[in-house]
Amino acid sequence: MRTLLIMLTLSLPPAVHAEAPGIVLIDGGDWELPIVREESTGPGRVDDFALDVRQVTNAEFVDFVRANPEWRRDRAPAIFRDTRYLSHWPRADALGEGNAAPDRPVTRVSWYAARAYCREMGGRLPTMTEWEYASERQREALGISPTDYAHQLFSWYANPGAGGLRPVAEGPASGLGIHDLHGLVLEWVEDFQLVLGRGDDIDLLTGSCGDTARFLPEFDEAHYATFLRFQSRSNYRPDTTTSTLGFRCAYNPE
Amino acid sequence: MRLSTIPLMVSALLAATAAMAENPHAGHDPHADHTPMQAGEAAQGHSLFHLDAEWRTEKGESFRLDALAGRPTIITMIYGSCTTACPVLVNDARRIDRAAPEAIRERLQVVVVSFDPARDTPERMADYADDYDVDPKRWRFLHGDPADIRTLAAMLGVRYRDNGDGTFDHSNVVTLLDARGRIAERNEGLARPVEPIVQALRNLQDGRQAAGMTAW
Repeated sequence: MRTLLIMLTLSLPPAVHAEAPGIVLIDGGDWELPIVREESTGPGRVDDFALDVRQVTNAEFVDFVRANPEWRRDRAPAIFRDTRYLSHWPRADALGEGNAAPDRPVTRVSWYAARAYCREMGGRLPTMTEWEYASERQREALGISPTDYAHQLFSWYANPGAGGLRPVAEGPASGLGIHDLHGLVLEWVEDFQLVLGRGDDIDLLTGSCGDTARFLPEFDEAHYATFLRFQSRSNYRPDTTTSTLGFRCAYNPE
Repeated sequence: MRLSTIPLMVSALLAATAAMAENPHAGHDPHADHTPMQAGEAAQGHSLFHLDAEWRTEKGESFRLDALAGRPTIITMIYGSCTTACPVLVNDARRIDRAAPEAIRERLQVVVVSFDPARDTPERMADYADDYDVDPKRWRFLHGDPADIRTLAAMLGVRYRDNGDGTFDHSNVVTLLDARGRIAERNEGLARPVEPIVQALRNLQDGRQAAGMTAW
């Protein structure tokens, strides 16, 4: 494991919020997505990148919305978000209880809104490859076996968000020093609209058993659990908002 | 029908529902297109002109999508070094352009946007434009920032992936935008019949005339 961990403090535009979460630098490497695609070219290079230690919270997002009122739920252009965008907040610029509490991960945010937030913070959404790479490195760092990883994911995916969301980043950061990659809410990635082949002829949405098998390089539980995540991403549209989908930002290391 | 068109249809339905909720008159008006623009977002809710990005044309000039306002636009996304689907897509846009009635065609704009900012410089897009022998006054070949390309592709429902070797996998879509930048028709696939988009262009023009508006 040659993942290098460096805790950094993110410099932020002062108007947005004063207290920044930490970010963690993740050392790149040669890696291939755990999914079989048409005309796969073999392992690619993942460059070093930095990632938020925790998911973006309601408190952070409401600060962003106050500073950028064009992202209020009553002002954001409809092309950038569906009708449920931030609908769990009691007001367009105020938080509440439960899943709308300040320390909960922000949910009901579209891909456009998540990208606008990260851009404001001087970052971007992680690419799918970066996110999956971090997930795999995290699993290794935590010493979780592929089978245990699969069982934990099956249990969570079966009923995400059940009983209300927990606050982000409870307890000490584990593994790579990252909180909640799995188990709290799913996360947007930059290129969530996975393309598996030329054009749209091969698409996860088609989802037949034969297709599913074709996408799995190995027929074990861990690959199937990971595949479920790809499949759920493939069902999103960029304006989609759901109660179990949030995000964190990534940054290019300087 | 491709499955990937379903989300767009759902989106259109949701949008229609939202527009009716916010404007109680919208549902009674078959030409809601021409209702005076209000401050609310419903009238322009789904306009691609909300994308506030700066592009470069094949002439090296700065360009924003809202410069397309007021006239209909055919838009497609390609990359210049593509020798398979992309020439077909550009040719599909050209076939639509040529099949449009002359009165519409002279007002029709065509925009070709590259997925490949590293290679498709404005100079290279200019060469590409020359190869296609199209009206340089109405056609634009745009080069942009990677994040903006990703946003535009999402707005158009175009999926793509940079393979890292100079090639891109991408969906093949030709889209018609109305004068306000809203998607009026999509043609998904290669070398498809041009008639649905040409008919949609006629419908847009008829709608304007019925509303007592001048042609574009």
